[in-house]
Amino acid sequence: MAKVNSEYAIETISLTKIFPDWWGRAKVIAVDDLNFKVRHNEVYGLLGPNGSGKTTTLKMLLNLLHPSKGRAMILGGVSGDTKITERIGYLPEDSYLYRYLNAKETLDFYGRLFGLPSKIRRQRIETLLEMVGLTGMANRPVGTFSKGMARRIGLAQALINDPELLILDEPTSGMDPISTRQMKDLFIHLAKRGKTILLCSHLLADVEDVCDRIGILYGGKMQTEGEVKTLLQKSDESQIITDALSDDALAKIRQIVESEQSKCEISSPVDRLEDFFVRTVASAQQQHVPTSGAVNTATIGGFLVEESDKEHGVLEKLVTATVEEDKPIAKADVGTERVEAAPVNEEKSSLLDQLAGNKLEQVETDQEQAEEIEHIETVEEVNRALLDGLAGTDDKNSATEHTKRDNPQEADDA
Amino acid sequence: MHKVWAVARNTIAQAVRMKVAVVVIVLLLVVLPVMSFIVVGDGTLVGKLQTFASYGMSLVGILLCVLTISMSAYTLTSDLKLKQIFLVVSKPVCRYQILIGKFIGIAIIDVVLLVVFSSIIFGLLVAMPRLSDAPPHEIETADREFFTARIGLSEQIDRKEIEKVAIKRYQELERTGQLPIDMSPARILKELQGQERLKRRVIESGAQKVWEFENVRPVAGTKVVFVRYKLRVSGGYEGMQVKGAWLIGDQRNQEQFGPGVWDSPIYRLDTSDVLEMFHEFEVPVDAITDDGYLAVMFNNLFVNSATVIPEEMEVLYKAGSFGANFTRVSLMLLARLIFLTALGVSLSTWLSFPVTILVCFVIFFVGTVNGFVLDSFGYIEAKGIMVLYNFTFKPLLWLFPRFDGDFNPTRFMISARLLSWSFLGQVYGTMVALKSLVLLIIGFWIFSNKEIARTIV
Repeated sequence: MAKVNSEYAIETISLTKIFPDWWGRAKVIAVDDLNFKVRHNEVYGLLGPNGSGKTTTLKMLLNLLHPSKGRAMILGGVSGDTKITERIGYLPEDSYLYRYLNAKETLDFYGRLFGLPSKIRRQRIETLLEMVGLTGMANRPVGTFSKGMARRIGLAQALINDPELLILDEPTSGMDPISTRQMKDLFIHLAKRGKTILLCSHLLADVEDVCDRIGILYGGKMQTEGEVKTLLQKSDESQIITDALSDDALAKIRQIVESEQSKCEISSPVDRLEDFFVRTVASAQQQHVPTSGAVNTATIGGFLVEESDKEHGVLEKLVTATVEEDKPIAKADVGTERVEAAPVNEEKSSLLDQLAGNKLEQVETDQEQAEEIEHIETVEEVNRALLDGLAGTDDKNSATEHTKRDNPQEADDA
Repeated sequence: MHKVWAVARNTIAQAVRMKVAVVVIVLLLVVLPVMSFIVVGDGTLVGKLQTFASYGMSLVGILLCVLTISMSAYTLTSDLKLKQIFLVVSKPVCRYQILIGKFIGIAIIDVVLLVVFSSIIFGLLVAMPRLSDAPPHEIETADREFFTARIGLSEQIDRKEIEKVAIKRYQELERTGQLPIDMSPARILKELQGQERLKRRVIESGAQKVWEFENVRPVAGTKVVFVRYKLRVSGGYEGMQVKGAWLIGDQRNQEQFGPGVWDSPIYRLDTSDVLEMFHEFEVPVDAITDDGYLAVMFNNLFVNSATVIPEEMEVLYKAGSFGANFTRVSLMLLARLIFLTALGVSLSTWLSFPVTILVCFVIFFVGTVNGFVLDSFGYIEAKGIMVLYNFTFKPLLWLFPRFDGDFNPTRFMISARLLSWSFLGQVYGTMVALKSLVLLIIGFWIFSNKEIARTIV
């Protein structure tokens, strides 16, 4: 699929944007002599605080703004060229949809702009709507959608042309944690299928979980750039993750560590709020609590994976598949080192499976449900134990035995 | 083309969901039928038909123009303001395709609405004689004077001759030192021309005047032609009517061969006409000679003891059918709507919605009184300003559309006048092919170079 006709998917050369005031005098230097490159099949995260020039950079890449100086190359050309824009999917910072069109008409409109034949358009609209969980709301005007739902349609339109390069501006803003998780999983999945993604966000967790490489912008300048793994790795600390240990075993470990002249903090791991939230909603969905909002599905548009994933065929369930292939992705505490992440509790990963919706629910047996309840109880017990532990110590930082990879700072503070 | 069509469809959807469109449509759907029942006119069936045609077409014309202006000014400016355009221009669509799509979308709505409302007016007009309890002769008159398409020949005024005479008189006055000192030479000349023109029209008590028309060629099968006129008397006349005797036919041979030698029969008609109103009478078609010549003579009878001034003298004859003429009248209205669409779309590439709509309305109203504006500037006296006007405002006024005078479709309906295909073609040539295209090209150029996401800091 990916036609590589240039070394980089995105390349900027001294890209500069100066916003003049009404009199034409330079007022704001939004982007200042920016040079950055995104390789093909890479997930690149552009980070920065508000007003650091992220969105301006994207707009220059998309020809929505003209650079004051320098060039922005995209897929080996400039984005004004329709041959290039054909291969790009763009999700702006806000969804900017036509409020009077319904979900289906919206996707149909953008599909037409790509000149897709009606048959393909119909198929893709159907799969995309299912993928973003809005099949039931296909005929509702998008003006009546909540921000998160509009975001889903926004994402669907960005994928309608099966793009080679995805440019995403704050993709998860306004989305609930479950959708955020799913969206991140989707990005990882798309990246695996050979797509290049430029993700622009100030939500660090999003970027950390999906990006291969990041660049941090401040004042329109690139402050630092590199691989997430390298940037965040702490080579002067070690981390061991085990099942719950007896006091005796812990004492032994402490002894060993002390004999090595090192410091050691032991505690039970704290669950992330994201995981806790996902679990709660999952159990509500299982009890068929009615909702007027979007339904969480875990399917992925067949057309997005077919060509680059012939050996697997159409991947029906992203989450299930992910769990089978790389279990860590289903877990929130995996971070970027998903391949070599710690072993995952099977029960935990099945939580996301429940969000996969009806298909999965139907096959679930009573036994599995019993396991699930048991699991939730276990987790709550752990939480309780942890709270007790916290009450007994003055240290407000919850130093854990299972120090999280994506929270190295915590262990440090401890 | 598919992409243009996608944008056009979206524009139609946007316009349909705009409340203003619904309001206009409902308003017209209610007002038109009601109006057809309540209009009276001058009490006759023809008067009623003319009044309804006039008000109905004007109302449809104005409301559709207003609707077109608001839709075309809204569609692109709202996309830009609500930033929906970001998602459109980042797709593989050329910017000119977006503009053409918007233009076509609104043009389609215009066509549909015009077809609907024209059909309603046409249906009501055709049904009115049947629904009214008018006597048969009025229905016949309506057929002859309203449900037809006639060509009107008006009297030829020899401008050059008048100018010549006026200059001569001016020189005479100058020689004798009688030129008024408080008037500019141009003004005096104009005044003199006016006097001369009037002098040629007036008919003293007991005198007569002949109008000669050439190239009068009614369609085959026509039985009668019409003479249409209005009478005025010069001051001091007490009565409401004047009596006159008309002689119609070729009397050229009379001078050469004496009385009674005529190429065509001579018809005589005695009239007693109300002043300041249009009157029409029929003339059998054999009064026209084979080479298309027709002479009309008016005798101002002594009994009036007043000087009569006939105005807007015309010979009318059938040259087409009512239905076809009505279609052309509607098409003329469409040309206006297409121009306004191009104007709105073009302006909205660089102006915001309120400014676009304001400019569109100004241009629309200037267009409707274009003739008036041109005339009023014709009276500018100071030479310096006149030069400035000729080189700045006058060419601009040419760029402005013309919706009045001969370009006002309603006029053709009221006097059942033929709107020829060639004239319609001319209107489309200037208004659609030339002016609209120029506007759209300017729009393309601005839009293609526009920074879509631009914000002024």
